Amino acid sequence: MFIINFFTILLGKIISGLLHLFGRNAGNLPGLVLWTLNKNCLKAFKIDCPIIAVTGTNGKTSVTNFIAEMFKKTGAKIITNPEGNNLDTGITSLLLNHCSMTGKVKADYLILETDESHVPVVYSKLKLETLVVLNFFRDQLDRNGEVETLILKVNKFCETFEGNLILNGDDPNVARLGLANPNNPNVKYFSVEKYKYATDTLHEAGEGRFCPRCGTALRYDYYQYSHIGRFACPKCGYGKVSPFVKFTDIDLEKPSFTVDGEEYVTANATIYYMYNLCAVFAAAKLYGIDKKIVRKTFRSFKVNNGRMEQFEYKGSKLMLNLAKNPVGANMTVRMVNECEEEKELLFVLNDNLADGYDVSWIWDINFSTFRNVSRVVTSGRRAYDIAVRIKCSGYDAAKIVVRPDLDDAVKELFSTTGRKFAVANYTAVQPTRAAIKRFIGGEGSSNGNA
Amino acid sequence: METLRILHMYPNMLDLYGDSGNMELLAYRLKMRGYSSVKDDYTLGDGAKTDFSSYDLIYLGGGADFEQQLLAEDLLSCRDKIASAHKSGVFMLMICGGYQLMGQYYKDSNDKKIPGLGLFDYYTVASTNKRERCIGNIVIETDFCGEKYKVIGFENHGGMTDNVRTPFGRVLFGNGNKFGSESEGYTEKNVIATYLHGPLLAKNPKLADKILTYCLSRKAGREVTLPPLDDTLEKKCREVMLKRLLEEKKKK
Repeated sequence: MFIINFFTILLGKIISGLLHLFGRNAGNLPGLVLWTLNKNCLKAFKIDCPIIAVTGTNGKTSVTNFIAEMFKKTGAKIITNPEGNNLDTGITSLLLNHCSMTGKVKADYLILETDESHVPVVYSKLKLETLVVLNFFRDQLDRNGEVETLILKVNKFCETFEGNLILNGDDPNVARLGLANPNNPNVKYFSVEKYKYATDTLHEAGEGRFCPRCGTALRYDYYQYSHIGRFACPKCGYGKVSPFVKFTDIDLEKPSFTVDGEEYVTANATIYYMYNLCAVFAAAKLYGIDKKIVRKTFRSFKVNNGRMEQFEYKGSKLMLNLAKNPVGANMTVRMVNECEEEKELLFVLNDNLADGYDVSWIWDINFSTFRNVSRVVTSGRRAYDIAVRIKCSGYDAAKIVVRPDLDDAVKELFSTTGRKFAVANYTAVQPTRAAIKRFIGGEGSSNGNA
Repeated sequence: METLRILHMYPNMLDLYGDSGNMELLAYRLKMRGYSSVKDDYTLGDGAKTDFSSYDLIYLGGGADFEQQLLAEDLLSCRDKIASAHKSGVFMLMICGGYQLMGQYYKDSNDKKIPGLGLFDYYTVASTNKRERCIGNIVIETDFCGEKYKVIGFENHGGMTDNVRTPFGRVLFGNGNKFGSESEGYTEKNVIATYLHGPLLAKNPKLADKILTYCLSRKAGREVTLPPLDDTLEKKCREVMLKRLLEEKKKK
């Protein structure tokens, strides 16, 4: 076994080293090779420190970055995957880059964003201390299959998991994981109090309308967004949890929230963002991180990377947000609507492999609520699909401009002044960032010369 | 002006990606011409109080195996009423799971046989290998619109449908009723049953108008002609996709 492990690490190091030598990104390939050769390759690593994993449909990257940032501020040595690479192969590659020749991984904490379907694969081989589960939404049905299948996979893992389970208590699809192993005393829920724009009825496409325990239709006191809200089963009482962390007094103006009797100011203000912070806070509380550090991180830390990333051009503010499924896009539409002033929207839609080839999901985005949106620019490989979708929600077709080329689209967006928002799906988000930066940078420097 | 009455069956169960968009599209295209529409939602247990024949159009979207099982019994309890609505000429639009449930039976990926309504002769069997699915963009050619018309959509189904006498269209790109099938869906003068998501009517405005014309004419008792709409965006969208998909096929 020792010999196999030694050669596994050696081989991985060589591939990784070669890739670096040729200036290539070693994000996935070394891990892919190791997995192909040895299904137990993860066991070659010797890890003594706690592992914290973050999973769920939306918000994984942000929450992982936040938790890692807090731990870093405590002075701990962290290994994390801030850019995604969240599959078994990506995590293997990450460990390869950070281990000694004997496979020893030296760190105080591993904080790993992990794809939902890969949770059982990775953590049947590595000992997981804490699993944070954010939400389960429909996401790329043509690639992932039905949400239920995915939940069942994670649920099966939870049946034998005895570590800390930090669960979104307001998502019926997530809270049910708390029932998977009745012998696990370490199940903890987080919850966010009803906020200003919560609704009495389901506003956007949602999942999990039936009690996972007895099949009865769930009842909601209110919906925060999609199927996230205060729910309970009228028959068996499923959903009545007492949260480990509860955010109250959500103030989107300031923006701020209150927890354990203290107010915290945040850098962004959407209900979706508050849920992410709530998960982060639960992890911080569990690990006893100094409140000063938590406060500072919440006030100033920004993930950027196309997640609520701010840009500015000649006084016009632009916020770019990734949206790879209806819930993510609906959140951005909410954000657009909650901004009172007149604004314009850029929507970039691709249909590459990593996006899913099926763009039907755009019809689950609720555009009929558009408030004060004076113009929409669409772009990407499916620029016309999203244009048709927005038009048929009742938006004036004359206010829609289609620019399949991204540079043209960004130029078009900035041909007027005022508040702007941009939404881009998975493979579109980095090219969109690049196009925005190109435009601002190019124009900026030419202004400088003039 | 007439108000079209639409019955959307199991909207909270048969609502895979975007299928409810078909409802939005029909309402939109009616509204743009000054017609109004009323959509009633049918949910589990509404059978006894629902007068199916009083509607102009009955719609069923696609659903997951789990939901299809949950509603199968309820649907069966409405069999006679739905059958007489179909016979009286009510238009029936059915996508994916809705398509399957109207046939003889549906054997799902867990080898569970769900009896269909038996309105039509076809039957569907899904492979027990859950990975074996027809997934991808699809283009078919249909005669439904009174002329040859290319219909663009997205298929994602494990069920293979057999014994289809009058298919909805001929497959130009994609799979259709079965892996590598030549035919897609099922049709009658007042029936479209298909695997096409997308949603179906998004990129196929002529098809949407054909359905609306049928419903309005039947209601008015005379031939109704719909004024054309500005479909520039839809036309461009079709152009881009047809070019991409049909050229992709040539390369293969």
